[in-house]
Amino acid sequence: MGVVAVARPLSRTAGGRPLRRMLGRIGFWAAVLLIVSPAVSVFLWMVSLSLKTDVENLAYPPLFIPHSPTLDNFAEVFRASPFGLYAYNSVVVAIASTSVSLLFGVPAAYGIAKSRASGLAIVVLISRMTPGLSYLIPWFMLFRFLGLNNTLLALIITHLVIGLPIVIWVMMGFFEDLHPELEEAALTDGCTLWQAFLHVALPLARPGMVVAAVLAFIFSWNNFIFAVVLAGRDLRTLPVAVFNVLTFEQVAWGALAAAALLVTLPVLILTVIVQRHIVAGLSAGGVRG
Amino acid sequence: MTRRITRRRYLELSLGLVSASLLAACSPAAAPAAKPTEAPKPAAPAAQPPAAAPAAKPTEVPKPAQAAPAATAGPTGSTAFDWKRFKGETLEVSLTTSPRADLQKKHLDEFQELAGIKVNMEITPEQQARQKQVIEFTSGNTSFDVTMVSWHVQKRLFGKGRWLEPLNDMLKDPTMTAPDFDFADFSKASLDYATQSDGRIDTMPLTIDYWIVYYNKELFDAKGVKEPKTIDEMVAAAKAFHDPPKNVYGFVGRGLKNANVPVWLGFMLGWDKDSVDKDGNLQTTSPEAIEAAKVYQDLLKNYAPAGVSGFNWNESQTLFYQGNAAMWFDGSGFAPPVEDPSKSKIVGKVGYALQMAGPKAQYSSMFGDGMGISASSKKKGPAYFYLQWACSKTMQNRLLQGGGGASCRTSTYQDQQVLSNLTVPKAWADALVASSKIGRPGLPVIIPVTEFRDTFGIALTNMIGGADPKAELERATAEFKPILEKSEKG
Amino acid sequence: MKRVLVMARVSGEDLVVAAPVARPAYARHRRYLLFVLPALLLILVVIAFPWAFTLWMSLNEWQVASAREFVGFQNYLDLARDSRFLQSIGRTFYFTALAVVLPVVFGTLAALIFHQEFPWRGFFRGVFILPMMATPAAVALIWTMMFHPQQGVLNYVLSVVGLPKSLWAFAPDTVIPSLVLVEVWHWTPLVMLIVLGGLAAIPTDPYESALIDGANAWQTLRHITLPLVMPFVMVAVVLRTIDALKAFDTIYVITQGGPGTASETINIFLYLQAFAFYKIGYASAVVVVFFLIIVLLSMLLLYARRRTVWA
Repeated sequence: MGVVAVARPLSRTAGGRPLRRMLGRIGFWAAVLLIVSPAVSVFLWMVSLSLKTDVENLAYPPLFIPHSPTLDNFAEVFRASPFGLYAYNSVVVAIASTSVSLLFGVPAAYGIAKSRASGLAIVVLISRMTPGLSYLIPWFMLFRFLGLNNTLLALIITHLVIGLPIVIWVMMGFFEDLHPELEEAALTDGCTLWQAFLHVALPLARPGMVVAAVLAFIFSWNNFIFAVVLAGRDLRTLPVAVFNVLTFEQVAWGALAAAALLVTLPVLILTVIVQRHIVAGLSAGGVRG
Repeated sequence: MTRRITRRRYLELSLGLVSASLLAACSPAAAPAAKPTEAPKPAAPAAQPPAAAPAAKPTEVPKPAQAAPAATAGPTGSTAFDWKRFKGETLEVSLTTSPRADLQKKHLDEFQELAGIKVNMEITPEQQARQKQVIEFTSGNTSFDVTMVSWHVQKRLFGKGRWLEPLNDMLKDPTMTAPDFDFADFSKASLDYATQSDGRIDTMPLTIDYWIVYYNKELFDAKGVKEPKTIDEMVAAAKAFHDPPKNVYGFVGRGLKNANVPVWLGFMLGWDKDSVDKDGNLQTTSPEAIEAAKVYQDLLKNYAPAGVSGFNWNESQTLFYQGNAAMWFDGSGFAPPVEDPSKSKIVGKVGYALQMAGPKAQYSSMFGDGMGISASSKKKGPAYFYLQWACSKTMQNRLLQGGGGASCRTSTYQDQQVLSNLTVPKAWADALVASSKIGRPGLPVIIPVTEFRDTFGIALTNMIGGADPKAELERATAEFKPILEKSEKG
Repeated sequence: MKRVLVMARVSGEDLVVAAPVARPAYARHRRYLLFVLPALLLILVVIAFPWAFTLWMSLNEWQVASAREFVGFQNYLDLARDSRFLQSIGRTFYFTALAVVLPVVFGTLAALIFHQEFPWRGFFRGVFILPMMATPAAVALIWTMMFHPQQGVLNYVLSVVGLPKSLWAFAPDTVIPSLVLVEVWHWTPLVMLIVLGGLAAIPTDPYESALIDGANAWQTLRHITLPLVMPFVMVAVVLRTIDALKAFDTIYVITQGGPGTASETINIFLYLQAFAFYKIGYASAVVVVFFLIIVLLSMLLLYARRRTVWA
């Protein structure tokens, strides 16, 4: 509803003469195709790589469509690592760290937006501003001290420093945009601050939460070095599987591409599912105003 | 002398500062997790320092035999070697991605059956593996019992930190070392690598890598050019074949900083010169070093593909496999892929030549890996058994046969049965046998090897861009000299 | 037209007005801080020890496997004289400027497009954000191969189109733009998602008044949409800036800082000191200085952001 309202001004003005409108449509579609083309072409190239043998992958001029497609590269990915186990670890860590990030981050973003504590906004960013490399040695020692090394909990904690600031920062914008009258009304009606947040602000900030969750999830999903250094052998996450297909004497391009695609797949499925919520969230947000 | 000892004590103390205090502090906290009640003999662990407790998982009941550190003194009773002595133990083995690691993984069941020891193995790419090793060793307590050591990069560092358990006593102990292990069979070069300057043998030799020249025989035959044997012949051949419009390049090799240093030092050996002499003095501004750098510059600037200053072995090999490069100078481990039709277009057309001779001498640049036991491991006995298996004659023979690298054992090269069952061309093995007779370390055996490679690597990359070799080497030497002096003093 | 501008202003201003007017509101502001406390404590607990460790180590000379020695601020003094470090700062800024501006511009444009209704919108949006989901290190390896000057698919495409070939990441003068290309490819979707979320949260009434006033598409965009969505763009800018300053996987995998030191940014320099040269003390000092640079830049951006929100 809101989306339509926003979209209308642009399409409305393109109207007038039919020729102009048609040109506008062509231009619009050209723009759509243009912006998706980098993603499409690189991913298609990866698909092509994953279906060819390495000698074909190295050919020049490049061979875009495989002569004799093979699934060996995908088989190699499953042979090189316990893919299911890694996937399980990745899912647990990503979901847990995203949930905790949302649980702590959304109220924090609300608090910062309401109290306009921009200094605090910087403070919460500290963990993300710290170069990841500097965490490795102290964390390793700390987790050993706490007996947490070799637990998924340790990984989840480390991923919080990535996810939590993202959630807070993305959400801040949404809460700042909220009209205060609604909450004022709620407060006058005798709601506590917490209830006003929970029942008034939170539902309105849904599109933001979806975006924040997707981002936190993806950053957690793709983190590699923490899993290698801080987790035990059975607790590796999926990006490790990508590197397990590499052999020393030959970077196996086909297997590498296959692994990269397979690791991307679960996130892709997730976003397709969340997509509906994004859409729902977006229109829900648009109603406000 | 006394000063030295105190310094070492200080070193050990301060190294452990953060980690040891953590460990000491954590033992009471972690003690309940160890569930001492489950141990059959509560009296036996009493001898153990409490710091050992947190490492033991609740499920693994510490055995009295293993409480004696390193099992240097044999247990009472048995006097003969028994592979099953540590039956039922579990080992953590952490390896670096390489054909050696793949080989151990492939035949792992053999060891598990032989010794009755369960092995948990993980293979990690080099960059991450090195990060992980250093982090775990400096924290004072490693998650793995056995690891792989790259001698040419890590030997001195690991030796200085005393991170690995010396094997000397166990090697002498007939109850610990299999009678057919034959330690004396390892080549002198590999034993030199495996032994620290104070006599500690802290690694078991796993492989020695010699650099060789791969050349495209098809191209060479077409022009009637003979196998290059000297540096001059190599440059002449590169010049003859270089034809960029036709996508043929005379020479391909590492131009990327750090990775490129062995190429230059390989040429330098032809002038019978090391980068650091026996007394620890840098020889990198010597006339020999400059001549070698000029050769490097000439080959990579004039007869190599554009962009070579960003090439590591990986970018180099892809050109060579496609038949676009006449010669490629690199480690010996690339025979399997270059002879694999799913990766290479020049299967059966590759010549393997010795590292070329210079005006003064002919040597083969030598690099290598060993296997070591973490000094903090609680399972040194089983770990030592693993080392014996991984570096046994059988495994070393398999290594050569599969083309995964050169064996460190002299018996491998005398065994006709091994040599007649190669899965890679005989010419490759011949080049390795010949190389083993003229091997010489391809990188200086100093602590800051990586800084050395980095500093001089940048100089070499600049030369590909046209900088003057002499000036670049002088600049790099001036930059590196204080670093070297400091590290050797400390 | 005037009225449109006023509308846009008002929606931002009424937030500000609330603050100084009523005293109870001020007290309430402090109570809002309770919302922040749990997250703040969580973050501080997780990073307290690493930071204490780093600060302490930066005052020591400690090369792994050697004796540790307290040296005061010597590491910092050495850093100030380390020309390689100083050069890496310049490169980092160059890289960051490109790797922030381009994704933000493209991402915002893409968000404006995806905010329109058109058939298959969900599908195209899904495709567009694909790059962000791919493991950065793996994708970087694929790009390395695509950049190969002789065998890479990029040069092939250039030659087909009739353009001269490039050395991409394999030459000092083209290496940083090439690395930026990978970053832009990877992270434009991030900006798009944040801005798209912001667009959805924009109140609709200014548009309605604009319609009444007969504003054209460009005027609506320039005077209503962009100002309203600016806070979200700034969030993207801040997050992108931090990530671009710290970019590691892409650069390390593709060039390791080369050719020579042509793409050696602060983070690559840091990696070399810590995990190649094992100078933990010196590397810790790099972390501290690097961190201060990031904080300073972020404060500048935050200042800019406050202006966009509350000015």
